[in-house]
Amino acid sequence: MYYLYLMRSPSGRTGFGICQDYFDRNKKYISHIGDLVQFSYIYGGTRAHAKKVERNIKQNLEDNRWTIDNWKTEWLDNLAIDDLKKYVDDLIERQHIKLELVRIDYDITQEK
Amino acid sequence: MVYALTYKPVQRLPNPMVSINPLKRGTGRIVSLQDRVDQLNKSAVWKKVVREWRSINKNLDSLRLPRISMERLGSLWIDEDIQRPMDELHCAKIADPSIYDPALMQCVQCIKTTSGIFISIDTQHTAAAFAALIDAGLMTGTTDWREIEFPFQYIETDNLAFARKAFGILNGKGKKRQSAYMQLRTSVFCIRIDGNRSDSYDVEVENKVKIAENNHCYPIEEKSRLSQHPGTFANIATFLTLNDNEVEIACKWHNTYFHYEPLHVSLFFIFKDICRSFKNFKVTITPKLLEDLAALVQDRFGDLQQYQESVTEAHRKWSTQRYGQADNWKDHAYACALLQLYVKLGGTEHIPAILLDQFDGIVDFFDDEITTVGG
Repeated sequence: MYYLYLMRSPSGRTGFGICQDYFDRNKKYISHIGDLVQFSYIYGGTRAHAKKVERNIKQNLEDNRWTIDNWKTEWLDNLAIDDLKKYVDDLIERQHIKLELVRIDYDITQEK
Repeated sequence: MVYALTYKPVQRLPNPMVSINPLKRGTGRIVSLQDRVDQLNKSAVWKKVVREWRSINKNLDSLRLPRISMERLGSLWIDEDIQRPMDELHCAKIADPSIYDPALMQCVQCIKTTSGIFISIDTQHTAAAFAALIDAGLMTGTTDWREIEFPFQYIETDNLAFARKAFGILNGKGKKRQSAYMQLRTSVFCIRIDGNRSDSYDVEVENKVKIAENNHCYPIEEKSRLSQHPGTFANIATFLTLNDNEVEIACKWHNTYFHYEPLHVSLFFIFKDICRSFKNFKVTITPKLLEDLAALVQDRFGDLQQYQESVTEAHRKWSTQRYGQADNWKDHAYACALLQLYVKLGGTEHIPAILLDQFDGIVDFFDDEITTVGG
């Protein structure tokens, strides 16, 4: 199982990424940021399909990608997280992508 | 075992490339140089280079522009410490009978010393081929290449270091080479704009492009912003290795099943190998096989780009186990691995054995979620 997560930075910027272990990935964000941070939406499915959606976001929303020091990050400017979720949901439905929503507003404290 | 994968149709949306395809026609515009200057003045990279000039307080001297005159070709000398040894094959290519035309000659580039000697700093092959063609008696209007007047572009200097650096600049990074796409565009526009069908290569290239376009597939320049649009591809060199029938089958397959995606270059490798092997072994590529393969790509990978990632990884693992170290990627693995995967998942259409023997066992190195039947 592979996962695609959508999240908000502490300042509200929309972000995304893929991982094999969302507990571990969430923990790393918390360590970097120094505060609890939630993955607003986590989709689970095959690795190939998770990577396909991530690539689609990077390519088709390229103009929104927050770029700093000539580095295109996996954060998006001027796009609310619910708009990104709608984009992903539409993509999954239209292209029959094998991903489904498995968690909402997740952080590692929920594992207890 | 039954092949359980079914292709799920995807709603077709209008493809913007139909109207913005740069190869559809020329712009019909001829612009002044002022237009280009204005464009540069607005450009960030140009502004940056101008700032660099200003920061080092350096000015250019227009008197250093080279001069051009018609000179006796026999007055040209070549300094072997500056230019490369002459490459006979390169001269032979220049003199290719299908393209060679004196009207396309460029000036020879040289320095002129104070003693009046012209020393070539570039284009020795152009000059040598031209002279040798006259020497062979192939040029009307002259029999002695030494006496014919040829356009020389030169600057007056005795500084051989300048000549040496100039050669490096003219043959190195200072020269912008024409991309494969620009060469293709030239061929296409010779036919579409100029209506000139005298060059069989241009006709052949334009026909392949037309077949691709009829299937909503579009060649574009590398790193073009058009690359996000469905059907676009930038690997021109691979595209041109396919014959018309292979282009038709590959592009039709893409347009039928993956019309919503840019075209991944693995498509061309896959269909070139499938078409040639099936033809050699007199096996028909059935519509069912084409749809079954689309179902496999859609269900297990999403698209061919993800297939490429997975098959590259599988090839690396397979070759490591078989040969003790990872072998370089082989393009034939695209088709072979896909068809072996098809058979493993229960595909029943007839596949020539030669495509199933090569890279034997590579399917076992895909992730389980890809190879699991009914997964």
